[in-house]
Amino acid sequence: MATKEKEQELIRRLQDAVIHYKVAEAKKIAEETVASGADAYTVTMEGLAGGMEVVSEKFDSHEYFVPETLLCAKALYAALDVLKPHIKVQAGGTRGQVVLGVMQGDVHDLGKNIIKAIFEASGWTVHDLGRDVPLQKFVEEQLKTDSDIVMLSAMMTTSMVGIKKLIPMIKEKNPKVKIMIGGAPITEKTVEEYGADTTADNAPNALKEAMKMLDTLRRGKAA
Amino acid sequence: MASKEQMTSLERVAAALTFGQPDRVPAAPLVCGATHRIAGLTYGEWSQCTDIEAMVRGHVDALDLIGHDGVVMLVDLSIEAHAFGCEIKFPESNTAHPNYDDPFIKSHKDYKKIQKINPRKTQRMKGVIELTAGLSKEIGKTHAIVGFVYGSIGVLSMLRGPEAFFMDLMEHPDEVMEAVQVVDEVLVEYAKAQLEAGAHSICYDHLYASQSILSKELWEKFEGPSVKKVTDVVHKAGALVSFHNCGNGIYFDMTEKWGKPHAVSHAYVADDVDSWEEHKAKWGKKIGTIGWIPPGPVAMLGTPEEIEEECKAEIDIFAPGAGFVLATGCEFGPNAPLRNAKRIVEAAKKYGVYK
Repeated sequence: MATKEKEQELIRRLQDAVIHYKVAEAKKIAEETVASGADAYTVTMEGLAGGMEVVSEKFDSHEYFVPETLLCAKALYAALDVLKPHIKVQAGGTRGQVVLGVMQGDVHDLGKNIIKAIFEASGWTVHDLGRDVPLQKFVEEQLKTDSDIVMLSAMMTTSMVGIKKLIPMIKEKNPKVKIMIGGAPITEKTVEEYGADTTADNAPNALKEAMKMLDTLRRGKAA
Repeated sequence: MASKEQMTSLERVAAALTFGQPDRVPAAPLVCGATHRIAGLTYGEWSQCTDIEAMVRGHVDALDLIGHDGVVMLVDLSIEAHAFGCEIKFPESNTAHPNYDDPFIKSHKDYKKIQKINPRKTQRMKGVIELTAGLSKEIGKTHAIVGFVYGSIGVLSMLRGPEAFFMDLMEHPDEVMEAVQVVDEVLVEYAKAQLEAGAHSICYDHLYASQSILSKELWEKFEGPSVKKVTDVVHKAGALVSFHNCGNGIYFDMTEKWGKPHAVSHAYVADDVDSWEEHKAKWGKKIGTIGWIPPGPVAMLGTPEEIEEECKAEIDIFAPGAGFVLATGCEFGPNAPLRNAKRIVEAAKKYGVYK
C-alpha cells in the first residue's frame, strides 16, 4: 500500500506527463502506481482527469491546438490502459454514461475522438460508436446501455439532416435521454429546429454542458 | 427595387475584389456540389468527374437559374489525395471521402510513398481542369471562374487520416516535410493548369490555418512556404489570389504574409479581432471578404426572411469601400434548397447596389 505522499507524487507526475504529452512516461508512472499499491481510481481521477482539465484550459485559451491535445490524449490512454483493470470503483457510478458517434455518411471523427478522451478522463463511461453510424444503431446503443446522454456529431449539411430524423427516434424510446449535437454546421438554431437539448463548440464546453444535463437528470430522479 | 445591372458578373467580381467600383455587391453562394442536381447526376456520379459535359451543363444551368456571379471549381477535398493514390469512397448522396479504414499512408514511414504526379493527366485533377476549360468556353467572358487547390497539408491529412497526421506534425516533422515538398510541386502545376484552362482566380484552401486546428507557428512551418509557391504562380499570371478557410479565428496575418491575397472566403473572423465590424476595419480595406452566410442554419434551414435579414446585415457591414462578395461561409449545402441560393443573389441586388 502506497503512502499518501507517494500517491500524491504519482498524481503530480501523471498530471505533468499528460499535460506535456509524455506518452512513455505516462505509461511508466501508471505501472509504478499499480506496483506501489496506490489506489488506481484516485490516481486516475486526480492524475489523468486533473491533467486533462489543464489541457482543456490550454485548448480553450489557444495555448494548445488539435495536435497537442491529441498527443495529450495519447499519453492519457497509455496510462489509462494500465490503470483501468485495477480500478475498483466504477467510474460510471459517480459520473454519467454517454453514447457518442458521428452521423451516417460522415467520416469526420476528429472532434468526436477528442471529446471521448476528455470525457473518459473525467470519469464518464463513453460508448463510442465510431463514424458513419447508422441511425438505428444510436437508438439501440442508448437502450442497451441506458446512457444519460447521446452525443451526435456532423460536419456536413448532408449528414446533419440525419439528426433531425434521429432525435425523434431516440426520444420515442426514451423521452428522458438528453441529446447534445455538435459539428461545423450546427448552431443554437439547429438545436432548436431539430429538438436537441444543447450544443457545444468544443470538447471542454461539451463536458460542461454534459455535466449540467446530468445534474438536471439526477435532480429529476431525486425529486 | 433592384436597379439595372451595369456590369457583367466577371467585371463585378473583379471590381469588388480589386477594391474598384462595382455596380453592386457580387453574389457567389459557393454552389458547387449542389449543381449535381441540375446536371442530372447523383452526387456520387458528379463527384467522380467522369461526365464533364454534364458537370459543365450543371454549372451553366445553375447560373441561369440562380443568377450568381461566379463559380468555384471545388468538387470535394479528396481530389488531390485521390490523384496521389488514395482510395476514395463515392457515396450516392454524401461527399466523397478517403477510405480512412485503409489510409494510403499507414505510418510515418509511408510519407516517402508520395510521388510526384502529373495533374493534367491524373484522375479527377484532370477532370477539374477539363471542367474549368469547359466552363471557360461557355461563361469565361461573362462570369468569374475560380479554380480550387486544397493546400499541401490538407492533402496529406487526407492521405494519412487527420488524427494521425496532426500527431505526425509534432512527432515526425521531417517525414511530413519531405512529403510536403512533393505535394507542393504538384499543386503548383495544378494551379497553372487551371489558369491555362481559363480560371480567373485560384482559391487555395488553407483549412488548417486557424485557431480551430493548428497553432500559428506550426501552420507557418508546414504550409507557409507552400502557399507562397502556389500563389506566386497565380500572381505572376495576373490572376486573382483567393483563399478559403471555414475555420474559426483564421490567421489573416499569415495569409497576407505568405499569399498576398486579393480575398479570403471565410465563415468566421480573423484571430486578431472579435467582431465582423472589427474585421472590416482591420482587414477589410486590404483583403476582400467572400462570405459569410452560415451554410447550415441560414442558407439551408433559414426562412426567406432570415436569409434576407442575414444578407442585409452582412452587406451593411462589408459593402462600403468594396472588397466584398456575398457568399456562404463554406460550400452551399449540396442538399440545401436551391431557391435559397437565389434568395442570396436577390438580396445582393436589393441591398448591395452602389450609388
